[in-house]
Amino acid sequence: MPISGDATSVMSEDRFADLVGMLSADPVGGAELMDLLREEHPVYAGRGTATIVQMRGWILLALARIGLSDQALIFVLEELDTGLDAYLIAAAARALRSYSKPNEAFAPFVARALDRIRFHDEPVSFERYGEYATSSTGTSAVSELLAALAWLGPNAQAVQPQLERWRAEHGLSRKLRLDLDRALKAIREPDRAIPSCCGGLPAAGSVSIRAAMESQEPSSINSVLMQDQDGKSVKFLEFFRGKPAIVVFFYTRCDNPMKCSLTVTKLARVQALLGARGFAGRIRTAAITYDPEFDRAERLRVYGRDRAVRTDEDHRMLRAVEGNDALRSYFGLGVNFGEALVNRHRIELFILDATGRVAVSFERLHWDEEQIVARAVETLNGFEPR
Amino acid sequence: MMAAKRKVAKKKVAKKKAAKKKAAKKKVSTRRRSTSASAPVQVAESTDDVQRLLKVLCDTGKLIDVRMAALQSLGAAAFSVPNFESVSADYIAALREVSTDSHEQLRRRSLGILMRNKDGFAQKKLLDGLKNPAKALLPPEKALQLLGNDAHAGAYSVARAIVKKPPNQDAKREALRLLAADVKSAPMFEKVLRDKNELRENRQLAASALHSLNPQKLQQQALKILKDKSDYSDIKATSLTALEQFGDDAKFAKDKALMLSVTRFNSSKTPAKYKQSARRFLSKYDQ
Repeated sequence: MPISGDATSVMSEDRFADLVGMLSADPVGGAELMDLLREEHPVYAGRGTATIVQMRGWILLALARIGLSDQALIFVLEELDTGLDAYLIAAAARALRSYSKPNEAFAPFVARALDRIRFHDEPVSFERYGEYATSSTGTSAVSELLAALAWLGPNAQAVQPQLERWRAEHGLSRKLRLDLDRALKAIREPDRAIPSCCGGLPAAGSVSIRAAMESQEPSSINSVLMQDQDGKSVKFLEFFRGKPAIVVFFYTRCDNPMKCSLTVTKLARVQALLGARGFAGRIRTAAITYDPEFDRAERLRVYGRDRAVRTDEDHRMLRAVEGNDALRSYFGLGVNFGEALVNRHRIELFILDATGRVAVSFERLHWDEEQIVARAVETLNGFEPR
Repeated sequence: MMAAKRKVAKKKVAKKKAAKKKAAKKKVSTRRRSTSASAPVQVAESTDDVQRLLKVLCDTGKLIDVRMAALQSLGAAAFSVPNFESVSADYIAALREVSTDSHEQLRRRSLGILMRNKDGFAQKKLLDGLKNPAKALLPPEKALQLLGNDAHAGAYSVARAIVKKPPNQDAKREALRLLAADVKSAPMFEKVLRDKNELRENRQLAASALHSLNPQKLQQQALKILKDKSDYSDIKATSLTALEQFGDDAKFAKDKALMLSVTRFNSSKTPAKYKQSARRFLSKYDQ
């Protein structure tokens, strides 16, 4: 039975750890563990980000114990793709190694995580829930990522030159040299190669793209009143009806440059592509904040301007001044809040059709600007997205 | 006679020389003492040096001055040593270890470094200490100041509780600073700003916080403060700046009561630095 509602929002961390332990011992507990990874799950409400890091890391470790399923793979790849926290990245790397077989499509995810985390590696402890390592004798995020590359073996050949360059650098610590040597040795073993089918992620690994959502047009969306970067008010359906639209979510105080800042910067690139192809007046774009109380018009304007976002009648930075809960539920947003601030969110982009309904959504992994423009043009032309 | 005089003069010179020598010796020994009291800072050039410094830092048998010097060297090494990041996990582990040391100075410095990196361990320790003073590693005002490095630390509820029942005035001030990013605290900042019994420093903080959280509310409160004859000059000057820099031009020029209050403020016995704000305001809005 999925755990939801207010019951879990007041759950103590000890109870949470017990629950995760219980689910990981249950042969069918994997689905419930995945349910707990939904950002909007009430169990995360009201907590600080550091606590959420511990909670989500503990779930990833539980998934590692039972073996990472196809369905859970996306959560691990997401963390490797955009995560910044050493504990979560280390847990994701360990979970990846519990997947049924190595796949060459995983290597770039691990390499990207390594690139980000190597400059602020941390010791991590997986012994008990909530434990922080105070000794460096155990593992760390970099060690776990290098172990993941060793597990991938020849499937990680694409990142071999990057590792070799790193290994040749002067002044590396002994421990890191050993970890690097182990990973490189495994990658160079040709007889361990397991060819990946079809040269991409397993089918379930790309569930980041969702077709039309079931829950559509609840009457409450009509009550959503928005304000744009210039302080102009507009009702949700006034703006989103009449033309297809590309919508991203963000908030200005997001401290992960791989998420909100990059998302809004990429939206600017999407706008440029739309403009270059003559669609700027036929497809709208919007960046809507998760944090409407803090992200006032002036902040939206500056944030968009600093990232080269085009703003005019069809392209706006928005905040909900009324009906923010209805907005969250309409899009099924993957976001949760601490005491007054977003404490966790996923990357999410939506393409709306000309009636304001969600035609397709891109979640968790970074989307490609060309692909977004192509999908939006398909929507404009009345095709159902594939 | 002359020879006797020369002898006396020679003796005097010798005495002076001896006194000078003694003074110089004293100076040198004082310098030596002070050098040994504050341990020399070693410069790390490689990750092996860093490992040696980390051992010194964590060695509770060493003098605190030596350990503090090691910590200072490590701070420099983080910038200067090539591939310092390959020992980053060891550095963080050592900082976490010494953050619970018996020396407050070492705790303060190590927790400061950790919190600048938004370290979860340090956050937890500081929050636990604020909730339960028996576990506190640092005084509440310092803990709040460090928690302020991370808006996502989840420290707002404990800071709100400290504002309501502060253990001391410094803690209250730091709690207000931390809450300046909390949109739910805007009504509390309105109260602090209007409370004439509140410390003026806190009222200034409240004005600044309101400007960030809810500029319209700051404008409303600033208008009330300016029309209040009994409020303080520095708070009125802050209010004038808020209205002059960020206010609604047309509305102010038509507000006769406001213009009268500002004119009165400008001609009162207020210090010149506060009158400047009034003059700027009047030159902008007085028709």
